[in-house]
Amino acid sequence: MANKVTDQKSVLVDLTKCVGCGSCTVACKLWNNQSFQNPQSEEFENAHGEDVKLDSNTWTTVQHMRVQKDGQEVWRFVKRQCMHCLEPACSSVCFAHAFHQTEQGAVQYDPELCVGCRYCMIACPFDIPKYEWEKVMPSVMKCQFCSSKLADGEAPACASVCPTNALMFGNRDEMLAKAHEIIDNDSRYLNHVYGEKEVGGTSWLYISDVDFGELGFPTDLPEKSIPKNIHGFTRFTLPIFAVGALTWTGVSLYAKRRHAVAHEGHAAEHKSEE
Amino acid sequence: MEKRKELENKGMSRRRFLSVMAGAGVVGAAATMTGCSPVSDPSGTGWLPNQYRNASAIPSQVKGRVPLDPDNVSLVRNDEKCILCGQCIEACEKVQSVFGYYELPVHDDFICVHCGQCSLWCPTGAIKERSVVEEVWNAIQDPETKVIVQTSPATRVGIGEEFDMGAGAWAEGQMVTALRKLGFDVVVDTNFSADLTIMEEGSELVERVTKGGVLPQMTSCCPGWVKFVEYYYPELIPNLSSARSPMMMHGSTLKTYNADKLGIPYKKIVNVAIMPCLAKKFEISRHQFHGLEGGAGQYHEDPDVKDMDYVLSVRELADMIRKYLPGEDFANFEEGQYDQIGSTAGLIFGNSGGVMEAAVRSAYYLITGSNPPELLYNLEPVRGLEGIKRASVNIPGVGDVKVVVASGLANARQMCEEIKSGKADFHFLEVMACPGGCIAGGGQPRTAVPPQDWVRQARTDTMYNHDKIGNVNGTSVGGGNAGQNAVKTGNLRLSHANPQITDIYDNFLEKPLSHLAHELCHTTYEDRSGSLTRKEV
Ligand code: SF4
Ligand code: SF4
Ligand code: SF4
Ligand code: SF4
Ligand code: SF4
Ligand code: SF4
Repeated sequence: MANKVTDQKSVLVDLTKCVGCGSCTVACKLWNNQSFQNPQSEEFENAHGEDVKLDSNTWTTVQHMRVQKDGQEVWRFVKRQCMHCLEPACSSVCFAHAFHQTEQGAVQYDPELCVGCRYCMIACPFDIPKYEWEKVMPSVMKCQFCSSKLADGEAPACASVCPTNALMFGNRDEMLAKAHEIIDNDSRYLNHVYGEKEVGGTSWLYISDVDFGELGFPTDLPEKSIPKNIHGFTRFTLPIFAVGALTWTGVSLYAKRRHAVAHEGHAAEHKSEE
Repeated sequence: MEKRKELENKGMSRRRFLSVMAGAGVVGAAATMTGCSPVSDPSGTGWLPNQYRNASAIPSQVKGRVPLDPDNVSLVRNDEKCILCGQCIEACEKVQSVFGYYELPVHDDFICVHCGQCSLWCPTGAIKERSVVEEVWNAIQDPETKVIVQTSPATRVGIGEEFDMGAGAWAEGQMVTALRKLGFDVVVDTNFSADLTIMEEGSELVERVTKGGVLPQMTSCCPGWVKFVEYYYPELIPNLSSARSPMMMHGSTLKTYNADKLGIPYKKIVNVAIMPCLAKKFEISRHQFHGLEGGAGQYHEDPDVKDMDYVLSVRELADMIRKYLPGEDFANFEEGQYDQIGSTAGLIFGNSGGVMEAAVRSAYYLITGSNPPELLYNLEPVRGLEGIKRASVNIPGVGDVKVVVASGLANARQMCEEIKSGKADFHFLEVMACPGGCIAGGGQPRTAVPPQDWVRQARTDTMYNHDKIGNVNGTSVGGGNAGQNAVKTGNLRLSHANPQITDIYDNFLEKPLSHLAHELCHTTYEDRSGSLTRKEV
């Protein structure tokens, strides 16, 4: 159920302070009991590196980016996860009401309520929710802003472990003030707090010394929240989904079959080795 | 279930949704969507170490872990095993003063000197060496190659711990036998090239002291330390001895002089080193040791040759023994002999203070022409596990030579600051990146985690005990009757008295610091300070 957001929390990510240690990605997995196995390839993968993607087991990644700055290549590391929009598009399109905001502003997703329509995946401007293709009863998965920790007055797992304080946690107004203070006192920063205004504002805020577009952030987002833009659209959800589901189901059945076949092959090999 | 009810009231439920789907003729939907939903607490139920369960960061508590390049040549980390205990970052920052000593943002490097101390501290084994066991095994199997293996001084007091022989057990002979059983073609001893290093580095010191060169001279045999200087103190590069590390001198002379002696074409030689060290894996990757820049490459004018091909840590050698000599009883192997000898001055290179002591013994000889007095055989002030040790040695004709020995890079940093500020009054600085020296190197067995002084002490003591008796065990490369004649050396505690050192100078290198010696036994360094912005300390 939608609570009132009375205690809006925020994480301020200072991209100039990230050293790419990946501690935050490990903390997320530890706290959320997630495997390091890529659900598609079944390979064990770290969630930080050059070629990392969010998936249903991986709610946050730290991407190693090589970008140009003042005519030189520099490295920056970009943590990605759900932005926890103040007015979340994912939630507004979800006719199953699987999303709700906690008092601290965490956009929490409840797999128990999800019907698996994947409409949130299309609606999210940051391409965050990921589908559990590998499961019989797939859910959509994403960062939950460690909502129970937040409710207990703790920082989210990822922010609590960051050795360089690249991830700062607190009330959103304080974090915004801090962001502006940092920017105002250091000319190396761009004068832009990403997430302050984008899509009506987000709980996660970023500051950087390198253009956000080069770091893979969408830069063409409206300042108005998406729910306001697409209001009234969701009544078409069911018919649209019915058509879409046909395709998706086919794809996922095919994928599952391929896995099964691969596994049988594998098992047979093992047998013959013994 | 409560939530479901609410939703049913709202007119949408999983059941209703499915019936809509069925109505739409989406038969397959049932295949993916029926059954029980895996109900999990969506807000996290896992575990994190206690220091993280706070509203925000408590600065005094250990946080996070050290950043490691996924392509680090020395180390790999398995995130699945990491519990965010923070030991690695503690070792890197507090013991080594590497992490946390550069300003952010980073430039274009994961700052690391490859000392491997983090891998010794990591309680779960998440951080470990980048293994080349397979590659070395394949080289041994290849009938086209001759694989020559050298073993660093400290390996013989480490390897036994992997086979239940106790901390600091002397396992030199067993290790040689194991290497032969594994199929290495020639087994040589880095103690020999440590002697060679003493000749070159000692001569360099004598020259600097007597001719007014840049002082204090700093040792250069630890690649972790060398990279540390290149990152943080490039202004002190002129103080670094230009002498290569023993391993690298060995590499180049094996593919030149010894290749001829052994009658093996240099192109067929694969040089492997067993090291207590992970920084050595980085060292062999330095471009200064490859192709026309390298010693052997320069000598043969061959761009394809590398002075050293592989480095195996002591832990990897143990893995190799367990894998390829399964069921064999290492501890009771008969004691084999090297195809080469090194003095016990070379042996004690493995201890912090050992290079200094060996250098002083031979510098005395190089300056005075006679062997040092008894006192210099037991240079107590530079022995032991203390982080910074100072001593003064009187050498007739030169006067008091002041020396400092530091181990652990945080201690070395203090000495660098002392030199930078102009307050240093000493002539010679020995630095080993690992606390206690290579006997506690990042590639040694994880006998106590985190590393403990009682293990370090046991290993150090064993080394000095064998120096006391001048314990030397080997034959000569390609010499005598096909290398099988044991060289009877008895009490060999002086690098310059090693007959094989005399041999390589008489028949090949001419004299220390000769043109050829420069080509094969010395190197250059590079300023890496552009990879970071130093924090003022
Ligand atoms: S980032 Fe996407 S998934 Fe997260 S709250 Fe915003 S719309 Fe929803
Ligand atoms: S807030 Fe919690 S769930 Fe989200 S990325 Fe951080 S650790 Fe993971
Ligand atoms: S823990 Fe902090 S420094 Fe490390 S990768 Fe995450 S944000 Fe970057
Ligand atoms: S190898 Fe040494 S320098 Fe590199 S991360 Fe580990 S402790 Fe730090
Ligand atoms: S020491 Fe090992 S387990 Fe602990 S934080 Fe570092 S990598 Fe993780
Ligand atoms: S002290 Fe020895 S083991 Fe440690 S990094 Fe230096 S050479 Fe390697």
